[in-house]
Amino acid sequence: MRWLLAGLLFALAVGLAIGTAAIRADNARYRFAVEQLYRDVHDRWVELGRLKLERLESSSPERLAAEHWAHLEAQNARRLEALQ
Amino acid sequence: MKQGELRRVRFAFGALGAVPVFLVGWLGWVQVAQAGELDREGRAPLQLVPETADRQSQRAESVPGPRGTIVDRNGSMLAIDREVYEVRASVVVPKKYRKDVNVFTGWLARLAEDLAKTLVADPDLPDRDELRRRHAQRLAGQFARAFRTDALPAAGALPEKHPVTADLLVANGIDVLSVVQALRGFTVRHAYDTVTLHFLRSLERAYPDREFTFGLVGHVDTRWESAGDAAKSLVTQGVCGLESFVVLDPSDTQRRSFLKDGTGRSYFQAPFEDVRVPNVLQCTLDIELQRIAVRELAAQATAAGKDSTATIPKWGAMVLVELATGDVLAAASWHRGDLLPQATAFTPYQSLCEPGSIVKPLVFAYALEAGVLDWSHVYDCHPGGANYRETIAQLGRAKPVRDDHECGELTPHGIIVNSSNIGASYVGLGLSRDQWRDYMSYYGFGTSLQLNLPHECVGGPNKHSFDPNTSTRGFRANSAISFSFGYELQVTAMHLARAYLRLFSGKGAELRLCRGVEIGGRWYDAPAAAGNGPRFRRDTVENVTEAMIDVVSNDPHATGSHVHARMLKELGINLHRVIAGKTGTAASLVGIPGRGSVSVRNASFVGLLPAESPRWLAVCVLQKDDSALFYGGSYAAPPVVRLLLRCQELEGRRQLRQEAQGGTGGQARATSGSPGDTGWSPAASEKQR
Repeated sequence: MRWLLAGLLFALAVGLAIGTAAIRADNARYRFAVEQLYRDVHDRWVELGRLKLERLESSSPERLAAEHWAHLEAQNARRLEALQ
Repeated sequence: MKQGELRRVRFAFGALGAVPVFLVGWLGWVQVAQAGELDREGRAPLQLVPETADRQSQRAESVPGPRGTIVDRNGSMLAIDREVYEVRASVVVPKKYRKDVNVFTGWLARLAEDLAKTLVADPDLPDRDELRRRHAQRLAGQFARAFRTDALPAAGALPEKHPVTADLLVANGIDVLSVVQALRGFTVRHAYDTVTLHFLRSLERAYPDREFTFGLVGHVDTRWESAGDAAKSLVTQGVCGLESFVVLDPSDTQRRSFLKDGTGRSYFQAPFEDVRVPNVLQCTLDIELQRIAVRELAAQATAAGKDSTATIPKWGAMVLVELATGDVLAAASWHRGDLLPQATAFTPYQSLCEPGSIVKPLVFAYALEAGVLDWSHVYDCHPGGANYRETIAQLGRAKPVRDDHECGELTPHGIIVNSSNIGASYVGLGLSRDQWRDYMSYYGFGTSLQLNLPHECVGGPNKHSFDPNTSTRGFRANSAISFSFGYELQVTAMHLARAYLRLFSGKGAELRLCRGVEIGGRWYDAPAAAGNGPRFRRDTVENVTEAMIDVVSNDPHATGSHVHARMLKELGINLHRVIAGKTGTAASLVGIPGRGSVSVRNASFVGLLPAESPRWLAVCVLQKDDSALFYGGSYAAPPVVRLLLRCQELEGRRQLRQEAQGGTGGQARATSGSPGDTGWSPAASEKQR
């Protein structure tokens, strides 16, 4: 009986060691995934900053007016074509 | 249990028990018996202790602290930090490519070409082939320097001890997602096992509407520089304009820890520590008015050269100020030629000139206040008249005082309208030397604008004018007369604007460029200096303003009659009693390096709107470096008038918009390019005030 208990305790110790190692490995795997995710998010944040500025610059009154003017000219050209 | 079974069980458990004993023994052997040092060439020995192992797996990435955001008075963004990547590569040439020189250089050429292709992964990029070619050329050059390929023989084995590893910059300012992703997968896709790309986070300064804000918002050139040893520090060079303000000085870099294993894989450990909310500086500029000012000034300056008899001015400056607060709403600078805006003076506060007759209302207001001028007195302004001979000619002044057109008898009102130099001289001679010194002090000529902008030109009166060695008679004969019509005095356009601001708001009035700052989410108002200190009596200001109203009229002798007629023709607006103003024209000699003494002409104009109770004032100065005719009323007045009219129109439109929307103040949220950055939240700021 004494030996049986010792064996069970040893098996428990080994099980705990394996479990701990597995959890730690899983933890490391998740840390790796989180790091990848963190970098992906930051990559998109950088892209967002660039797009925001692009949008800001393209929406200044002058550029909007220029775009509007180009649109009107194109519309005018289409009408002229249709008339001909 | 039988004896044999017991032996077997004991053996099995004994064997199992030996495992931990072995592990403990091994641990003791490695960590205790074998613990020691590892010698390294040129460096301290590596301690073989657990801390070393931890240190090797612990990594940190750093990001420079953000400078902060600059917004205009309505919340439009003028400068912001933008996150980008600096991509560096650690390159180790694989062993199999180190045997032969051609194989070695071929591998490097292929790597440069593959990296170049990856850098143009953005499908929206125009002219990708040309860009790829340039990147490949640049990277090939970097590889050649890092691996010293020029020192290699044409063929044969690679010399021993030839560098086979290098750390070099692939590209900086990378901010396009497709390029970032392509670079992230570069080593796997192209099977470069011995190449590691490092993505260093850095910040770039972005300036929306850059072409309109070079001078006041300024610029900054920040780069990493070696500090002697392996350490690098962020060094900022060439700061000017608002960028030089301490509130925009970046603080410490931010750090984030992570773990790295032996194969280079990264593991998350923590986000950035102490993410700093970028400071926000709200300036007084109105970007819409700034655009108008820049365009009007440039249009006028270039139009001056379209007349076949005229030449293009050398430089121009225009400033728009709100009188109630002293806020600089717009400040435009213009230079002849295709010059880099960063490399030229910002004329509104860095280019000096003699102002000419534009200062007459200032002189008259001061004289009126000092009690040496009777507004109803009639002066004989005939150039050869008895009064002239007795008062001016007898002083022995070297240069006679002349008027542009012959003026007869004039009151002070008429002197301002006709811009009579003779009449102004009579008034100037009524002021004592101390009073002239006080005049300079009252209007702030020769003193800093207090805007805390670097490289400001202060100007001021001629250094001999108030020299104790200059006799009173000499002062009266020269300086007192010259000061009265704007000579022997150097000013900038902003100094003139401040002088007129003080005419209306008192001696303590200062121009203001910063409305407030938000530091750590808390809003701090910048004090408005307008309205402090002694000020002129109301009737003094009214008399002078009334004269300035008549300057811009259809009176043929009024110096603003040209702009009056022009605006009536062009815009259909009768400017009389709409805009008040004063013209200025000065002919001076200035020393220009390489050209000696050059004759220049300054045309200036100050305008006030609404004329009777002014709310805005604008000053324009244009300088020509030749002696061709150049008048303030013809050249400097039109852009001022157009700017003031647009300012009023814009104000009316904004009021209508606010009424329609219920009035949010038109403040836009300024967002920044950093996670955790709250940007500028006016609503939150309002609560904290």
